[in-house]
Amino acid sequence: METLDRPAVRKLMGEVLAVQGKTLPDDDAAKLADIGFRSLDFSELALRVEDEIGDELNFEAAGLRSIETIGDVLDLLVEIQGQ
Amino acid sequence: MSDFAPVPPVSVVLVSGASRGLGLAIVTDLLERGVKVAAFARTVTPELEALASKYPEDTHVGSVDVTDEKAAQGFVKEVEARLGVIDGLVNNAAIGQDSLHVHTSSDRIAQIIETNLTAPLVLTRFVLRRLIGKGLKGRVVNVTSICGQRGYQGLVAYSATKGGLDAATRSLARELGGRVLVNSVAPGFFASEMSAVLGASQLESIARRTPSGAMTTPDDVVPTVRMLLLEQTNINGQSIVIDGGGSI
Repeated sequence: METLDRPAVRKLMGEVLAVQGKTLPDDDAAKLADIGFRSLDFSELALRVEDEIGDELNFEAAGLRSIETIGDVLDLLVEIQGQ
Repeated sequence: MSDFAPVPPVSVVLVSGASRGLGLAIVTDLLERGVKVAAFARTVTPELEALASKYPEDTHVGSVDVTDEKAAQGFVKEVEARLGVIDGLVNNAAIGQDSLHVHTSSDRIAQIIETNLTAPLVLTRFVLRRLIGKGLKGRVVNVTSICGQRGYQGLVAYSATKGGLDAATRSLARELGGRVLVNSVAPGFFASEMSAVLGASQLESIARRTPSGAMTTPDDVVPTVRMLLLEQTNINGQSIVIDGGGSI
């Protein structure tokens, strides 16, 4: 199965925000709440990743991890690919 | 202040169980209003075929059993290729019940639940995944029943599925955060084969207790479905009862 690396996921995240007229900050420590990245935006990003890799992500592997920053999102979506 | 824009009217609607009755009436109404409609049912009736012939550019019709997940998903992909991304879904396909619970086999109970509850949830998931993944907005209308809110003998499993779909409607509306408006319409008993299971005395009782004095017809339900799909109302997560006030 093909997987997306961190920069590729970051690019998709930027595209999700761009549709809303928002810009993805360069700083991975930026808070999702501060940039208006909501839970449904996370779903949209995850579905775009799934579309790229041609497989569904396994969110059970993510557990109840707290996702508060851009870096958290990127870490999670890179980690759970292929699990 | 919220930065959410209103959900626009739908442009491509998928209607399940569209071969007759309410489903066919919904398809007809939407096509007359210039909406592109994809319609499937287990059996495509001459009436549905006639609509497809009348609106060849705006329709996509197929013979699909809603419980056949692969077939339903394949149909959705065909629709996307022909009409565009589906941004409206009407979950109408359902099967009835005509037996007291103690006389309904476990296989029949499972079949009712699979058709009326599991299948629409699975189809909704598939359509929403394609919609949200593209960053689009849309609307879902679940056709439930007054049975989901009031008790009627002989309809235990059927009522459970319709009440379950009403409950799912509310949670989906919450989960989708305004990007997709999700509502249900809950008709009273149609004067049709579905209500025949109630028996003459129960039907008489329902009609007598209905303030409007009339049983529900598909034409009574169509305007509300149209409104939920096409009008800007901010109605979300609601189950709208259409029964002439019979259940109040």
